Amino acid sequence: MATVTYETASLTYPGTAKPAVDSLDLEIGDGEFLVLVGPSGCGKSTSLRMLAGLEDVDSGSIRIGDRDVTHLPPKARDIAMVFQNYALYPHMSVAQNMGFALKIAGTPKTEITKRVADAAKLLDLEDYLARKPKALSGGQRQRVAMGRAIVREPQVFLMDEPLSNLDAKLRVQTRSQIAALQKRLGTTTVYVTHDQVEAMTMGHRVAVLLDGLLQQCDTPRALYDRPANVFVAGFIGSPAMNIKTVPLSEEGGRFGKVFLPLTREQIAAAREGDGANGSVQVGFRPEDTDLVGEGTGGVPVLVDLVEELGSDAYVYGHADFDGSEERFVVRTDGRNAPEMGQTVYVKPKVGHHHVFHAVNGERID
Amino acid sequence: MRHGKYPFLVAFLAPPVALYGVYVVSPYLQAFYISLTRWSGFSGNVEFIGLANYRRLLEDDQFHTALVNNLILLACLPVITIIMGLFFASMLNIGGRRGRAGIRGVAGSAVYRVIYFFPQVLSVAIIGVLWLYLLAPGRGLVDRSLDGFWLGWLTPNEGWLGNPGTAFWWVLAAMVWMNVGFYIVLFSAGMQSIPRDVYEAALLDGASRFTTFWRITVPLLWDSVQVAWIYLAIIALDAFALVQIMLGNAGGPSRSGDVIGLNLYRTAFEAFNFGYASAMGVTLFFLTLIIAVLAMRATRRDRVEFS
Repeated sequence: MATVTYETASLTYPGTAKPAVDSLDLEIGDGEFLVLVGPSGCGKSTSLRMLAGLEDVDSGSIRIGDRDVTHLPPKARDIAMVFQNYALYPHMSVAQNMGFALKIAGTPKTEITKRVADAAKLLDLEDYLARKPKALSGGQRQRVAMGRAIVREPQVFLMDEPLSNLDAKLRVQTRSQIAALQKRLGTTTVYVTHDQVEAMTMGHRVAVLLDGLLQQCDTPRALYDRPANVFVAGFIGSPAMNIKTVPLSEEGGRFGKVFLPLTREQIAAAREGDGANGSVQVGFRPEDTDLVGEGTGGVPVLVDLVEELGSDAYVYGHADFDGSEERFVVRTDGRNAPEMGQTVYVKPKVGHHHVFHAVNGERID
Repeated sequence: MRHGKYPFLVAFLAPPVALYGVYVVSPYLQAFYISLTRWSGFSGNVEFIGLANYRRLLEDDQFHTALVNNLILLACLPVITIIMGLFFASMLNIGGRRGRAGIRGVAGSAVYRVIYFFPQVLSVAIIGVLWLYLLAPGRGLVDRSLDGFWLGWLTPNEGWLGNPGTAFWWVLAAMVWMNVGFYIVLFSAGMQSIPRDVYEAALLDGASRFTTFWRITVPLLWDSVQVAWIYLAIIALDAFALVQIMLGNAGGPSRSGDVIGLNLYRTAFEAFNFGYASAMGVTLFFLTLIIAVLAMRATRRDRVEFS
């Protein structure tokens, strides 16, 4: 068990000008489950592969515990990885797959058998130990890949989108199994996903990356409640937060004829810097809204689509502000959802809105 | 499509089948018959003698020399070529580290790839002549290199190709050299279809290059190895052209480098004993058939599937 530390670790692929991972600073605690999340191409997998030793570190360093592993080969790092496509050895049985690392390390046969059997029991794979990977279902293969990592009892688990090849239902089920397993083993885990729901449900902390830059690293709750910038605000949460660039006045942000009140400090901060042009970005989550009657300070929104989910309904619509069309998503009670083509009046809940600078997108408190 | 399907199929299938029948199958059958006769090849005087030619084969020392040489080729050529092919292919594709992370070939692998494939674009005749020059007594590249390393005493007095003890082994060396390039390409193609992350997993599991080669690469390339084995076995049983060019019609000093094909050629076109030559051909045919079947049996394993 160990901590993992990235210290201004960077990597630029040959032939590209922009770094794939740009001065990543990240400290992962002992036994922590950290999720790296971001859109494709954000550098999350690259960061993980740098930690695994499958990619080089151009500058900066990576430490596991007190050891500087920046230039160590993968096998010297005491890590185990679960790959997206599982990367099982197709010519070996499940037991051989799980025991391969131990066999190479020269572990006695009885010890290997015992550890493989323990892992198989933990993962419910006991009946499949003699099978080849091709005779297993997707979920079973995924568990074998997990088993291969567990058997080694490494200091750190690395998981690169291990659930993306499973169907939706199995993914939800396996998600909770992995989280429970990690809690039980207490092994430091770095988990890469593009799915923000996975990130929010599994991680003790979540690190959001964009274009090789770390945007924010915090607990899921904090990430959701206090996103550090516009990108994190829009990326975390489904459906996404309503984020609009609106004119700034002394009273706050103006939505057509409606004002969203801002504090004096927020208005001052929003005016700083060049290029803001008297505007500000304001965001509120679909659930932080009320549908109100006409003339009570709501933004009039024409309903385009209603998604009924049973307990809730998501109302997608648009509003006209001075000729420009803005889209909105609002969560309402599933039993009283408005209908398509209707006009509803949306009023953001005061105190639950987020304010960001119009140019640099940073959060303004 | 139902209507007129058979005329369509027959129109396309009949010509090749007819050609195959006339020019491949019927000569085979004729050869079986000729092997049971005494025939000079030109006269109309064909004498049926039953299995006499085959009985003679059993006692023919020169045929035994040729057969043993073919069996030496059969034992050595596939093994050496496949091991070298696998080794070079894995160096070209996954062997390199260049002091950096990840899976890649050795530095300059693109250049090596072309060089290794080079013999494959040369005809056998050119390769034979090339090796004659290499092995030319005293002035060839081999002798000069040996001299350069003070190893000139290794060269036999009669020259490499003039000594019954060494001549045939140089033919084997030339055969390996001319074939290995193709199998490097074949195995490289196979390796490229192995998912990269399998190698990465092996790297993380702590496998050395040697372990990766034996425990991952070779088992996953087994299909290609099996094909290579059969091709090379067939090549080993032939070897006529290269032996003929490098060692001449006589099959080298004291006929020590003779192979069945060359023996057959001499019997037919120098001694004009077509019946006996056909018996050799038929023997070679069955030998090849048996070995191909055995090779296929021996190397049969579970098909590997990548998920």
